[in-house]
Amino acid sequence: MARSVWKGPFVDQYLLTKAENQRAAGRNDVIRTWSRRSTILPQFVGLTFGVYNGQKFIPVLVTENMVGHKFGEFSPTRTYAGHSGDKKASRV
Amino acid sequence: MSGAKRILVGAITGARGLGGEVRIKSFTDDPLDIAAYGDLTDQAGERVFSIRLRGSSKGAVIARIEGVDDRTAAEALKGTELYLAREQLPAPADDEFYHADLVGLPVRSSDGRTMGTVRGLDDFGAGEVMEILLESGKPLVVPFSREAVPEIDLDRGYVVVDPPEGLSVDGAKQDDGLADENEENGQDR
Repeated sequence: MARSVWKGPFVDQYLLTKAENQRAAGRNDVIRTWSRRSTILPQFVGLTFGVYNGQKFIPVLVTENMVGHKFGEFSPTRTYAGHSGDKKASRV
Repeated sequence: MSGAKRILVGAITGARGLGGEVRIKSFTDDPLDIAAYGDLTDQAGERVFSIRLRGSSKGAVIARIEGVDDRTAAEALKGTELYLAREQLPAPADDEFYHADLVGLPVRSSDGRTMGTVRGLDDFGAGEVMEILLESGKPLVVPFSREAVPEIDLDRGYVVVDPPEGLSVDGAKQDDGLADENEENGQDR
């Protein structure tokens, strides 16, 4: 069952505070968090979070498309390395 | 060919039909690209496979290999890994890198210290990230961006990484972060 709309999106308060402090300071350090359950809010756009996956922190640069999703969705706990083959990566 | 760097691009998983066609598990970005770069070789680089695609079925690429004309010969190839020489891949665009070129390269910090080696690159939906295996044995994941990875020198064979503030390099820092967060959270883990 979906979450009731009147409750608003869930986000851990301490994470929201951290993000607001970061934004107020005008810095763009990575905010490390273990709160995979928190919803990505519009005020997080542009910030980078290090989302813990049980082993390491995965950097997540929040963009508009991610709003409404949970942080944990971008930091999988099970990964399959596979083979590199002809895969390419480009620096942004 | 045996001295050149070779890249694993697929493996023959079995025969299909009676006419000598084989099923191939492809490791390329687009599975059908396995035949796009020319002839492939086995692991030792001794046997050359000339592949013609027939299509795809149930997640496998169906192909015919020159000189393999019946099912018995096709079955004999089951388990064979298919490699191509690095030189067969086309040159990447500017600021674009093959994973195969980066994986295993030594990583240095911006002040020249050795940090570890590149373990792999991933994209979990929030942009490309590079995983580094630190000398301490711990993993470190950094964004694959110009800020975090300011220099990639494939000729000399190293990568310079400048981890963003907040992504710790050592385990002690991570523990401090955990303490900070718990303190702010007002609860123990």
